[in-house]
Amino acid sequence: MESIIGFFNDPYINQVLTLTGVYLITALGLHLITGITGQFSFGHAGFMSIGAYTAALLSLHLDTPFILNVFIGGLAAGLAGMLLGFPSLRLTGDYLGITTLGFAEIVRIVFINLDITGGARGLAGIPKNTNLTIVLLLVVLSIICMYRIHNSRFGRALTAIREDELAAEAIGINTLIYKVKAFATGTFFAGIGGGLYAHLIQYLNPSDFGVSRSFELLNFVVLGGLGSVPGTILGTTVLTLAPEFLRFVKEYRMLIYSALMVTMMIFRPHGLLGGVNFRKLFLDLVNRRLARLAKTKDVGGK
Amino acid sequence: MEQIQTFFQLLPQQLVNGITLGATYALIALGYTMVYGIIQLINFAHGEVYMIGAFVGLLMVVYFKVNFFVAILCAILVCVPLAVLIERVAYRPLRGSTRLAPLISALGVSLFLQTLMTLLMGPNAQGFPQIVKDTIYTVGTVKFSLVQVVILVVSSTLMVTLHMIVKFTKVGKAMRATSESYETANLMGININRIISFTFAIGAALAGAGGVLVGMYFNSIHPMMGVIVGLKCFCAAVLGGIGSIPGAMLGGVFLGVAEVMGVALGFGTYRDAIAFALLILVLLLKPTGILGKPIQRKV
Amino acid sequence: MRKRFFIIFTIILCSLALIAAGCNSSQSSSQDEDTIKIGFLGGKTGNHAHYGIETLKGMEMAVEEINKAGGVLGKKLEIVEGDHGSNISQAVSVTQKLITQGVAAIVGDPTTGITKSVAPICQQNKIVLMSAGAVGTGVLEIGDYIFRDCLPDVVAAPGQVKYLKEELGWDKIALVTTTGLDYSESLTDIFKPALAKYGIEIVAEETIMEGDTNFSAVVTSLSTKEFDGVIFTGYYTEGALFLKEMRKQGLKQVIAGGDGLLGKELYELGGEAAEGSMVYTGFAVDLERASEKTKAFIEKYKAKNNNKLPDMFAAQGYDAVMWLADAMKEANSSDPTVYREALAKTKDWEGVTGTITLDENREPIKSPVYILEVKNGQFVVKAAIDV
Repeated sequence: MESIIGFFNDPYINQVLTLTGVYLITALGLHLITGITGQFSFGHAGFMSIGAYTAALLSLHLDTPFILNVFIGGLAAGLAGMLLGFPSLRLTGDYLGITTLGFAEIVRIVFINLDITGGARGLAGIPKNTNLTIVLLLVVLSIICMYRIHNSRFGRALTAIREDELAAEAIGINTLIYKVKAFATGTFFAGIGGGLYAHLIQYLNPSDFGVSRSFELLNFVVLGGLGSVPGTILGTTVLTLAPEFLRFVKEYRMLIYSALMVTMMIFRPHGLLGGVNFRKLFLDLVNRRLARLAKTKDVGGK
Repeated sequence: MEQIQTFFQLLPQQLVNGITLGATYALIALGYTMVYGIIQLINFAHGEVYMIGAFVGLLMVVYFKVNFFVAILCAILVCVPLAVLIERVAYRPLRGSTRLAPLISALGVSLFLQTLMTLLMGPNAQGFPQIVKDTIYTVGTVKFSLVQVVILVVSSTLMVTLHMIVKFTKVGKAMRATSESYETANLMGININRIISFTFAIGAALAGAGGVLVGMYFNSIHPMMGVIVGLKCFCAAVLGGIGSIPGAMLGGVFLGVAEVMGVALGFGTYRDAIAFALLILVLLLKPTGILGKPIQRKV
Repeated sequence: MRKRFFIIFTIILCSLALIAAGCNSSQSSSQDEDTIKIGFLGGKTGNHAHYGIETLKGMEMAVEEINKAGGVLGKKLEIVEGDHGSNISQAVSVTQKLITQGVAAIVGDPTTGITKSVAPICQQNKIVLMSAGAVGTGVLEIGDYIFRDCLPDVVAAPGQVKYLKEELGWDKIALVTTTGLDYSESLTDIFKPALAKYGIEIVAEETIMEGDTNFSAVVTSLSTKEFDGVIFTGYYTEGALFLKEMRKQGLKQVIAGGDGLLGKELYELGGEAAEGSMVYTGFAVDLERASEKTKAFIEKYKAKNNNKLPDMFAAQGYDAVMWLADAMKEANSSDPTVYREALAKTKDWEGVTGTITLDENREPIKSPVYILEVKNGQFVVKAAIDV
């Protein structure tokens, strides 16, 4: 037991795990947008940066409590998501994707040019308030949120939109409103993740929220298993921790990673856990056990 | 006030700068638009094909001292099989899969080529040897450098050739048919796979040539050069109306001019945002781009 | 029931990840008390790889020398490498890792941006961070465990301006800043008051972006103005391309700037156009002025590196380790909380990059500032200015 506590107290392990948790919260937001509602977002990092900068600036200039700042950061990102969502969610598929990408790039360039964000110099000296306990708590909370959403009327409407937007509209779902709601919720999570990120890394730089970060987040969601919460968890955990373990392959790391992206898509286009129904898997397992048990009993009876 | 005056004074010159930049954008945008038109895929690896074209041109010029036309030819000869290979390996197995899978695959290919070239050529920018003289022609108040003239001539020749191929040859007809409808084209006896490979090949040829031209003009070649240019050129293609060949040309030139004007007006720091802001604006006003056809939603 | 199952599943997954991570750490955290560990933080790969590799070379030379002479406080020095691949987020996690490995000091990243991002962590953990190259502003202000051994821009840039005005007679300049680059923006902020002080007029102020390759519009805007030269505060790649575009449009002025322009790429990419460009630096191979110590360092570096001459990064990496070792000896302790005091009181410490005296803000005051000029495709010393 003591070794486990010591293990969590190790600052390096602590940092890496906390970072994984932060990414996970952000990725869950994208999971809601892309995995459940089926809308492309290539600019998730942009919303993350809005949350991060809002929370960090509040912490630096006002004495409001940290959790409140993170929450406000989330709201700001959600609001931005909503404002972008209303006009652009009329677009579909790749058009939407490229619009969100463009929006994220604009956000990044604006942050470079603003004085209050420290511009290209970045924002340093943010207090370190994020810790593993808070992040784990929020991760569990977010996961519960995702399941609550998924199993609600709202969630089912979103799934309907993903499966067939026209059909969804035909059965009376106001697709635009639902899509905007999903988008705003998803970007809210990105903002929360961003706020936590700011108070973990203690330094923000617009270049950390570029296109590559957005695509990285997309990979978290897709490679683990699109539309599946366990898949998102798996994707985020593996892809965040992998670079730490793969330091020994050094420069070949990205080569392996990118080749893996292609082969993964060819052999499992829905991601590692995509299309895996855990409930069914579990029930099957139980049933098989029961059946076997019954069988052995039968044999014994004879 | 004085600033505005100098702006107008320099306007013709800046226009020339903008059109030259735009011509190179257009060459690359064409590859995006054709591929998107035919298989509805944002080919994220296209920017990397352009980057590799630039490197091939550079290596040819440095090691074999070839002239500039041979360099372009070599770049095309390398890029075409590369793009066909990419399509064969990374996209074809995913046809008919989810919409997101080929996109991720394309991102993977693009990352792979970037990393590979970084390992092979080093991460730093490399200069292009001077193969076109620094001659300057003056027309009125406007100065043309020889490089600019070469870029304008070569790119417009390539674009006219492309237009001819698509409009008047059998393959071109087949391409247009395939982009209208897969199934129908297939029923008409068109070999879809061959046409898709051909489309990738043409796009790659233009990108390869574009790579050499840009390398020569801006003197800087590095493994990451395809990323932002690729995104911007995709924007240009969407601006013009994706799937439309004249649209991509128009979008490219429009974007080039807009960017140069933005810098000239003192918005240099917002330069990369100009492309995306324009894109969002156009998409909101006319979701299919300037010359795009309206999307039909079928049940 | 179902929900509960998923939550349990999540927890199992997380703990699996924890265990996996744990296997790795238990191997590396074995403490060895016979050595004093010095962390190296820098990019051995990525965009600024050149800076990191050279710094490490200098550090290795210093460690080898010290260990040959019996080490520090009876212990050998050992370098623990932390390669962050020129990525800020990676740098933060690498720094955490170095600290858990029990380093006594970190010889820190040669770039200002990354140094600023990791400095608060070192400060919190009370580990000395010795930056061998963060010349920008706002570095030492982060805390009293942060040091640097390089010539800060605040000192060097005005020296260069003085030289341009008094020796070369520049009266009007164009100022070009790279936005999106921490280093360049802070340097511009330092240049402006210095230019005003020496009465040089800024006739045009232009901005470019990091990674830009097309400068036609900016140069066209400059072409109507009259000026003696360009102050360029960015890095060498953009500098070289900017010069090329100037020549292409028939502008003949040279550029002057900080050590961000100091890279062979300036003349490799720029070719003819780069001739006459001037950069300042805190270290140069100047055998006329060099001390015996510096000469010995240059010879040793050449012997190890196929006759290549050392640049400022190798020299600063070397000095960083030497300086730390001397401070530890003086304080008779390798505990950062103890030897930090000795480090902060440094006066007239002789290194290969010059004599270092710290002022009340722990800012190293070093002399001279070297002005290098590109001549026939290489940097040669043009002047040495005392500041």
